Amino acid sequence: MSEPAIRIAQMHKYYGTFHALKDINLEIAKGEKVVICGPSGSGKSTLIRCVNRLEEHQAGDIVVMGTPLDDNVDNIDEIRREAGMVFQNFNLFPHMTVLENCMLAPVLARRIERSEAENTAMQYLERVKIPEQAHKYPGELSGGQQQRVAIARALCMAPEIMLFDEPTSALDPEMISEVLDVMVGLAEEGMTMVCVTHEMGFARRVADRVIFMADGEIIEQGAPDQFFDNPQNERTKLFLSQIVSD
Amino acid sequence: MAKMFQPPKDSFQSRIKSRYFATRRDTIISIVFATFVAWVLWSLIGWALLNATFAPNAGDICREDLHGGACWSVVSTRWRIVLFGLYPFEEQWRSALACVVMVVVGVLSCLPWFWSAKRMAPLWVVGFAVFYILMRGGFFGLSEVTEQNWGGLSLTIFIFAGTSLLGMPLAIIFALLRRSELPWIARTMALVIDTIRSLPLLSIMFTFAIVLPFVLPDGWTGDKLYRVIVGYALFFACYQAEIIRGGMQSLPVGQEEAAKALGLGYWHRIGYIVLPQAFRNALPPTVNQFVITVKETSLVTIIGFFDVMASGRAASGTAEWNFAVIEMYVFVGLIFFVFVFSLSRYGAYLERRLGVGKR
Ligand SMILES: Nc1ncnc2c1ncn2[C@@H]1O[C@H](COP(=O)(O)OP(=O)(O)OP(=O)(O)O)[C@@H](O)[C@H]1O
Ligand SMILES: [Mg+2]
Repeated sequence: MSEPAIRIAQMHKYYGTFHALKDINLEIAKGEKVVICGPSGSGKSTLIRCVNRLEEHQAGDIVVMGTPLDDNVDNIDEIRREAGMVFQNFNLFPHMTVLENCMLAPVLARRIERSEAENTAMQYLERVKIPEQAHKYPGELSGGQQQRVAIARALCMAPEIMLFDEPTSALDPEMISEVLDVMVGLAEEGMTMVCVTHEMGFARRVADRVIFMADGEIIEQGAPDQFFDNPQNERTKLFLSQIVSD
Repeated sequence: MAKMFQPPKDSFQSRIKSRYFATRRDTIISIVFATFVAWVLWSLIGWALLNATFAPNAGDICREDLHGGACWSVVSTRWRIVLFGLYPFEEQWRSALACVVMVVVGVLSCLPWFWSAKRMAPLWVVGFAVFYILMRGGFFGLSEVTEQNWGGLSLTIFIFAGTSLLGMPLAIIFALLRRSELPWIARTMALVIDTIRSLPLLSIMFTFAIVLPFVLPDGWTGDKLYRVIVGYALFFACYQAEIIRGGMQSLPVGQEEAAKALGLGYWHRIGYIVLPQAFRNALPPTVNQFVITVKETSLVTIIGFFDVMASGRAASGTAEWNFAVIEMYVFVGLIFFVFVFSLSRYGAYLERRLGVGKR
């Protein structure tokens, strides 16, 4: 078996004295799609933010695409280039146009020619179906459009892995599907994806594996059919009954 | 039908009426106030223009003048002292040209086209070099004029430009050090900034101008003028660093996180994401800081430099002209006004322009 895309072993994370992640062991294969769910405060965001060092873990190992995540800044930058991230609040750069948002990192961090970076950016903006907005500023777009730009911006770095942290929770209901459609397309092309989301329809359709977290631990994981239809753990059952009744 | 939904268009008269003459009390206040303004304006025009004496060397006429108008003669006779101070008379064209060069460089750097390090840096290096060669001479057959003889407007401009040019990069460095992740660097910087901000500018100037030469080894001190500029720049940097830091703090944390997640290194994050937005947020206080700095340059009189302010006082300080002090101050005030007013108008323009991307 080849090296997994992400390997996390015996990882612990503390915020001061608060034990936020407890003994996390997780391997995600290349091309695998993993959905992480769990109640608020269970550590889902913290887990995926540890993968690209937006948060620092205190014990255990994290290896991303063969690169160990340690204090070596070159390794951190390498991992961040290989793992794109999409945030709940989009976090587009408001002082740059959509196109500039998409070109910035390829030009600066990958040292790609501007003209080439522009071509790539336009290609991805077409993929997320908003090429006509390329010269607008983020503030002029709707939430759904902004999130699609954020996805395009991450894809422009040609990452091997995409991390999503609740990409649809800040969106109005009518905009959720346009973002999920883009994510489904991405999954069908074989991208390695780790998504924190409560969109269970998306999880059923796309995920190879669903992971349930509570209190900083991985409680249960399994294929979507088994996970949703036949959960083993009491807390999983409780959680699933709550989000279904919503 | 559609017409009904349009707001009624106010005529000029009805607007005036509703604003100033709506009630009887409004009418009385408006009339009293308008009369007062008209009277002040009329007196001012009478003093400054109608009854004024403009011709040079007309001090005697001014003194006998019974109309009580302004004696602009003091300005038309002695303006060279105000603009050039003690600069040798035959060489004053150099000082004038140097001022023009600096003003042009200043105006050019306000144009968006120059807003990149690649264009801004050469512009200022060349501008400063030309200014220095013109003022100081000693090259190209220009006779040498040492800094002690610089004065008037060109000295003011030199101090202001030097302070901003040295102070702004320093301010950025201070602001970045102050938010360093290493606590001892951040704390030391905070202490330095707070200490300098709590000192009066005058004491800093005295320290740099007079105390420093005793402390530093010989040959390290440089001319008093440059020491004073360094002192000013340090003071400017400490205030401006806090302004920049305020601008950075108003950025959502997500901005830097998004930049990190894209693999941008520290300097790219600072240069492309953090600082541009921080400066945008901090634009009004930054313009304010520049305005304050322009005005503070006149403090150098106290340690014996002849900036515009001091030169103005000197020009009207002779027995022949000492009755026309007010006219001289009005003239110097106008010079400051031109600079400060254009600065604040430019600030307002920038705010409007940069507002586009925000929304
Ligand atoms: N910067 C921080 N400092 C201290 N505690 C934090 C910090 N960030 C998160 N926590 C705590 O860590 C725990 C996990 O937070 P995390 O954001 O990972 O939860 P989550 O599962 O993503 O929740 P949500 O569904 O609300 O986003 C929470 O109890 C939270 O209060
Ligand atoms: Mg979260």
